[in-house]
Amino acid sequence: MSALQQLGDAEQQVLTPTVRARLRRASTWIGLVTVVLVLLLAGVLLARGGSGADPFSPDDASPVGSRALAQVLGQHGVDVRSAESLTEARDAAADPADTTLLVYDTGILDADQIADLPSIADRIVLVEPGFRLLNGLTPGVDARGEVSGARAADCTVPAVEKAQRVETTGRAYAADSADDSADVTARCLGSESRGYSLVQLERDGVEITVLGASKALQNDGIDVAGNAALTINLLGETDRLVWYRSGIADLPASATEGTLTPSFYVPLVLLLFGVALAAILWRGRRLGPLVVENLPVTVRASETMEGRARLYARSSARLRALDALRIGTVERLARAVGLPSASTVTEVVLAVADLVGRPPAEIGALLVDAEPRDDAELVRLSDRLLDLEREVAARLPH
Amino acid sequence: MAVSGWFVALVALGAVPVIAGGGWLALAVWLGVCVVLAVLDLVLAGSPRALRLERDLPGRMRLGESVAATLLVTNTGRRTVRGVLRDAWTPSAGASPTRRRLAVPRGERRAVTITLTPFRRGERRAAHVTVRSFGPLRLTARQATLAAPGAVRVLPPFHSRKHLPSRLARLRELDGRTSVMIRGQGTEFDSLREYVRGDDVRSIDWRATARRRDPLVPSALKLVVRTWRPERDRRVVLIVDSGRTAAARIADEPRIDTAFESGLLLAALASRAGDRVDLAIWDRRMRGRVQGQTGAELLARMVDTMAPVEPELIEADWTGVPGVVRSITSQRALVVLLTSVDAPGASTGLLSVLPQLTQKHLVVVASVTDPEVLDATRQRGDRHEVYRAAAAERALLDANRVAAAIRRLGAEVVTAAPADLPPALADRYLALKAAGRL
Repeated sequence: MSALQQLGDAEQQVLTPTVRARLRRASTWIGLVTVVLVLLLAGVLLARGGSGADPFSPDDASPVGSRALAQVLGQHGVDVRSAESLTEARDAAADPADTTLLVYDTGILDADQIADLPSIADRIVLVEPGFRLLNGLTPGVDARGEVSGARAADCTVPAVEKAQRVETTGRAYAADSADDSADVTARCLGSESRGYSLVQLERDGVEITVLGASKALQNDGIDVAGNAALTINLLGETDRLVWYRSGIADLPASATEGTLTPSFYVPLVLLLFGVALAAILWRGRRLGPLVVENLPVTVRASETMEGRARLYARSSARLRALDALRIGTVERLARAVGLPSASTVTEVVLAVADLVGRPPAEIGALLVDAEPRDDAELVRLSDRLLDLEREVAARLPH
Repeated sequence: MAVSGWFVALVALGAVPVIAGGGWLALAVWLGVCVVLAVLDLVLAGSPRALRLERDLPGRMRLGESVAATLLVTNTGRRTVRGVLRDAWTPSAGASPTRRRLAVPRGERRAVTITLTPFRRGERRAAHVTVRSFGPLRLTARQATLAAPGAVRVLPPFHSRKHLPSRLARLRELDGRTSVMIRGQGTEFDSLREYVRGDDVRSIDWRATARRRDPLVPSALKLVVRTWRPERDRRVVLIVDSGRTAAARIADEPRIDTAFESGLLLAALASRAGDRVDLAIWDRRMRGRVQGQTGAELLARMVDTMAPVEPELIEADWTGVPGVVRSITSQRALVVLLTSVDAPGASTGLLSVLPQLTQKHLVVVASVTDPEVLDATRQRGDRHEVYRAAAAERALLDANRVAAAIRRLGAEVVTAAPADLPPALADRYLALKAAGRL
């Protein structure tokens, strides 16, 4: 019975490819992936050089940047200084009297910092100011909402007059003159109901311009209508323009995670990542491939019977079901009372009625005629069939 | 390559220097140490590719038994291979344990023994052996999968052989040794012998007695009786249907397995009775065939042929069966069709070829009935059970109609539950033999 099965002759066939073979086989893919990665990296680096989509940045050449305006101003002899923090802005501003301060704040500056702004320059242009800026510098001006569309010059502000027509895409502001400390000198480009795209006011000797038509500053909006004239005149009145956009450096320095956590925190987390990686390698490595096996089909023979029973039940085929039961009963009864299998139902009914001593009509109704009206009656009739079979079996001599 | 749990623990242990030493340097140094140790361990591990494998397997076994399968592992490499070995058998081979620890020094050979307890008959295969060889530090391992094909043929269990002794006793009763009981039952003449007390007086052959009269001593009357023996050297052809219907499971046994059990019992009985048994397993093509074998070799060949046959999901081609029978024998034979008698629709193929077979042969159709169906006819507790009982009655009625049709065509029908079919078929064979109808 036992047989030594020699596998191969001298060389054992190894199914796992060697590292070298695997590398050779994958070399095409490795090459392809490397090329794609290099291309992606190059693409990202090139794209980074072109546009970073930094809105109102004087160095950004993308549609939302303001490089065009800054360069034109530079060519007109204006010294444009970009500032990303309040300190930078203060350093960049030389003489308040000869400095225009453009402020674009995304909500970083707090009330104290805002209060400092007027000390930097005598002319301040607020680009789309938010609630805090309005509250701090121009309490009488409220933000209204988004507007667009070209408006003709309608006030005496020189820049607006020179522009003649201005495309006002941006935000509108309502100037309430009730506040005493803010003296609104001009409301331009708009109406009382719609709001104004440019509001100018004088406060403690500082001229503050609220510019809602912010699109006029951007590269893709500056060449529309008289936008260029408006912005160049507005920002180019003084020799120096401090282009201040608030940034992270303006955030007040406070206790961050870095100062509260111990020095080993980050290395420890990295180590845990290493442990997780090792654990994945440990548990994830399979001890050889699976073995394939053909499985036999499994068909339960009574499946068709069950299916037919469900069909009967779903369609409430009571009479059909009862007839099936009756045929079985009649066959068994015929065998029990000794009739040949070819005998008719009437003969079986008569023989059974004779045996159990009941009228043939009653037996006939049970075995042939009665029709069940509902399921309860079907169950009852089926029980009576079983009872009859038992009765016949009991009456027969054994 | 693979890493061990010790390697994970080693990396995790780095938390101590990172916390104590506090920082990046400790982390870098520790990870560096881990990587160096891992690589060192990997380099020092014995190569699993240098192993040579041999299998020591029993060629055949019966279903339900357990055998030891030995794998001989020879290390032809330069270092000791120490680690884990997985012998990859198909799941139904019931191999246990599937993983074994292994340590083979260079140039030596070790035996790895696992136990196979298959739970399905047929060809059970081993595909390959995977060895994971750890280095001296137990941190990392080299792993390779080596081809190591092997197979064990699992034969049908032949549980029904427990019925064989009682049937053989019945067969012996039919034999001439106790002529009393079989006198007059269609058998064939065996020999004449002297009367001994106890013989049936009806079996006395008066003419032979007269001839045997000793002319010298005329008064010494020696009665001569005829002895009889059952017919011998008849042909029995077993046709097992391996088509679609043979796949159905009844009482958790596929129909084809019941057919095999019945066929084996009948073959064992008929070969002892001196008949010649041939087997054909057929659906649309010949799936297995045993011809011209006698004695012990017959059963061995039969189980061997049956072992790998699984039912195919196609309708059996009954029109080919008369040709199969004709190719086996041209004499009159007992043709046993082991198939299913189910619904009239499914049995038309069988019914259409039966007349061709019954013309020349004695045909017995053996079929398994589902005890579940019989039980279902009696359970009528609620609405669903009544419908189920009705469906069961309908199924029984269908089967009865097919059986009646088969009988009308001149064939015999044997139906029984899976456990009862082999003895029932054997009994029918004995009855036919006693009646001299073979």
